[in-house]
Amino acid sequence: MKKSIWGIMLIVTLVIGLAFAAHAAKVRVMWAEYDGLTPEYATNLQAAFEKANPGTELEIISTPWNEFHDRLVTFIAGGNAPDLSVIGTRWILELMEMGVLEPIEQHLSKSLLDNIDPALFEGKIKGVVYGLPVAAGTRLMYWRSDVLGKVPETMQEMLTMLQKVTNPEKKFYGIAMTGQKYVELTEYAYFLFANGGYFFDFNKDGSYGKCAVNNEAGIGALSFMNDMVNKYKVTQPGVTAYKRDEVQNLFISGNAAIMMTGGFGASLLNQTKVPFKWDVAPIPPFEGKPQSSLIVTDAMVMFKDSKVKAEAAKFLDFFYSDEWRLQFDKLVGFPPVTKSLASNEFFQTPVYKVMVQQIAGAKPWPLMAEWPECNDLIWDNIEATFLGQKEVKQAMDDAAAAIDALRATK
Amino acid sequence: MMYKKGKIWTTESRLAYLLLLPAAVFLIVFMFYPIVFVILMSFFKVNKLGNLVGFFGTGNFESLLKLPEFGSVIVRSCLWTALAVAAKTAIGLVIALLLNVEFKGRKLARTLIIIPWASSIPISAMLWQWTYNNDFGLLNYTLRFLGFNPPVWLAFPRSAFFANMWVDIWCGIPFMALVFLAGLQAIPQELYEAAEVDGATSLFKFRFVTLPLLGGVLTVATLLSILWTFNDFNVIYILTKGGPANSTDILITYIYKYAFQYIKFGPSAAMAVITFVILMVVSIFYARNYFREGVQ
Repeated sequence: MKKSIWGIMLIVTLVIGLAFAAHAAKVRVMWAEYDGLTPEYATNLQAAFEKANPGTELEIISTPWNEFHDRLVTFIAGGNAPDLSVIGTRWILELMEMGVLEPIEQHLSKSLLDNIDPALFEGKIKGVVYGLPVAAGTRLMYWRSDVLGKVPETMQEMLTMLQKVTNPEKKFYGIAMTGQKYVELTEYAYFLFANGGYFFDFNKDGSYGKCAVNNEAGIGALSFMNDMVNKYKVTQPGVTAYKRDEVQNLFISGNAAIMMTGGFGASLLNQTKVPFKWDVAPIPPFEGKPQSSLIVTDAMVMFKDSKVKAEAAKFLDFFYSDEWRLQFDKLVGFPPVTKSLASNEFFQTPVYKVMVQQIAGAKPWPLMAEWPECNDLIWDNIEATFLGQKEVKQAMDDAAAAIDALRATK
Repeated sequence: MMYKKGKIWTTESRLAYLLLLPAAVFLIVFMFYPIVFVILMSFFKVNKLGNLVGFFGTGNFESLLKLPEFGSVIVRSCLWTALAVAAKTAIGLVIALLLNVEFKGRKLARTLIIIPWASSIPISAMLWQWTYNNDFGLLNYTLRFLGFNPPVWLAFPRSAFFANMWVDIWCGIPFMALVFLAGLQAIPQELYEAAEVDGATSLFKFRFVTLPLLGGVLTVATLLSILWTFNDFNVIYILTKGGPANSTDILITYIYKYAFQYIKFGPSAAMAVITFVILMVVSIFYARNYFREGVQ
C-alpha cells in the first residue's frame, strides 16, 4: 500500500516537473480595450503570433481604458508586472519614478525603430526611448451635418447654433458632454486649449511652473462649459452622470448634434452604420484664439522584471508589421504611427486629414509623475462647478492651489 | 500551568494538528500576514512599489487629518452603513415573514428571492447602471411613462448616494431574508399556539415571541451585513466611482483611490487601519451583546 502511494507521488511529481520543463516562454501584454477595437482582433493576433513563433505563448490581458491605470499599478505593486503594457504616455514618469520601466529601445529591431515617425516619440526621456508609440491622434469635433448645416467656426458660434437645435423634450441635445470624473480630463482640455490656455505655466528652462487653470483662459473655458450646462442647457441634463462611452452612445443614437472625442468616434459611427449624416471638423477655437486641439499619445512599455524580453521584442516586431498595424489602426481610428502605412489609402479620408491638420497647434497632456492626482483635483472642482457647489473662479483657484501644494511637497 | 507532553502531543492530536495545518497556513498567509503588513505600512513611509522604506510614526495618520474631506468621508461611510443595514434588515424581515406563511408558489418565491444574492455584485451594479441611465434606462422610462419627472439619478450628490445605496440594499436583501427565514422556522410552533390561546394578536405574537427568539439571528446577520456594507466597494466604484464631486466616496473607495490612483500606499494603509478599528469596535460590541444574551 505504502509503495503504491510513493509510486503515485513519484509519477505526479514527474508529470508536474515535465510540464514545467516543457512550459513555453510566456509573454504577458496588458492590452487596452480601445473604443472600436474588437475582442477578435486580440484573439486573432495572439493565435497568429503563437503560430509564427512556436514555443512562445502570448497572454493578452485586455483591460478597459478607464480601469487601465489602476489595474496596471495593482499588478506592479503586487510584484506581478506584465512584460509589456500599453500606457498613456503621460504616465511614463510616474512609472519611471517607481523604477519599473526598462529602456525599450535596446530591445527593438532597427527596422521597427526606423519605421516609427520620430515626431511621435513622446516616450523618449532624456534621449532614451522608454515608450514605443502605439497610438497617437488629435481630438476632433463630430457634428451632425444634417442638423447644423455648417460647421461652427468658433466656440461662440457653436453655442449660438446649439441653442437653436437643442430640444430636451425630444431628447435632442446640442452637445453631448462628459461630466463624470474619468481617467482623463479631456473635455476641459478641449475648451482650455481652444481658449489659448494650458494646465501649467512654463519656466524659462521649459519645465512646468505653477498650475494655470485659474488664469483667464482656464476660468474662461470652465465658465463657457458651465454656461452650456447650467445657463443655456445645450448639453444633456445631468452631465455629471455621463462617462465618455455614454456620451458617445448619445451621439451614435442620434440624440446630440455635436460630440468631441478621438478618432475612434469615427470607427464607432462606421461600425454602427448610423442612419444620419455626420462629419468631422477641427475643434473650434474661442474668438480671437488660435485653433488648438488635444493630442493624445499612448505607448508600449517594457518592464524591467520581464524574464522574456527577447520574446517580448519579437512580439513587438510582429504587432508592428503592416498587416497587424493596419487592422489595429483601422479599428481604433487613429492615424498610423508607422511610416510604412502613412500613405495607405485608408488614411486619406477626411477624419484622418483633420487629425493630421490639427497636429501643428495641438497640445499634449502634461508629462509629470503626479499628473493622475492633478487630473483628479481639477475634475473634482469641475464637477463641483456643474453642481452649483462652487463658483467658477473659486473652483479653479481651489484646484490650482491644491495642485501647487501637491507639487511643492514632492 | 504546565501541560504534560502526552496530552497535547498524542498520536491522535498529531493527526489533528496535521489536518489543521493547511487551514492554519492558509489563514496565516492570506489573513494575518496582509493585516499585519498593512498595519506596518501605516506606520512607515512606503514607496510606490509598496515597500517599507523608513519608520514614519503617526505621520500617515496625521496626513489624513489634513485632508479636508476625510472627516466627511468617515461620516458618510457610517451613514451609508447604518441606513443600508437598517433597510436590508427591515425589508429582509418582512420578506422572511411573508415567505414563512404557507401559500401557493412559496417554493418558487423562495427561489426567486435568492437571485440578487446569487448574481455577482459587479454584474448587478452594471445592470443597475443601465437601469439608472437617463436616456435609455428602464427606471426613468417607466417613471416618465407614469407621468413623473425623474432626476438623472447618478448626476447629483443626494440622488447618487441613495441610488448607490439602493443597489447595495438590493444585493443584500436575499441574505437577510434567508437567514431570518431560517431563524423563523426554528421557532417552535407551540409558542405561537400558546400565545393564541392567551388571546395574543399577530402584532403581540411578533413583538413577544418572534422578535425575542430571533434576537441571536438578528445580531449575527446585522453584524455580517455591517461588515460587508461598510466595505462595499463594487457598487460605488461601478456606478459613480465616488462622484459626483466625491459625494459618494466612502472609506473603502477612498482607500482604493489613494492606493491605486495616486499610488500613496502609506496614507491608504492608515485609512485601512482606521476602517479595521471601526469595524473591530462594532464587532466586539455586537459579540458582547450576543454572548450576554446567550448567557441570560
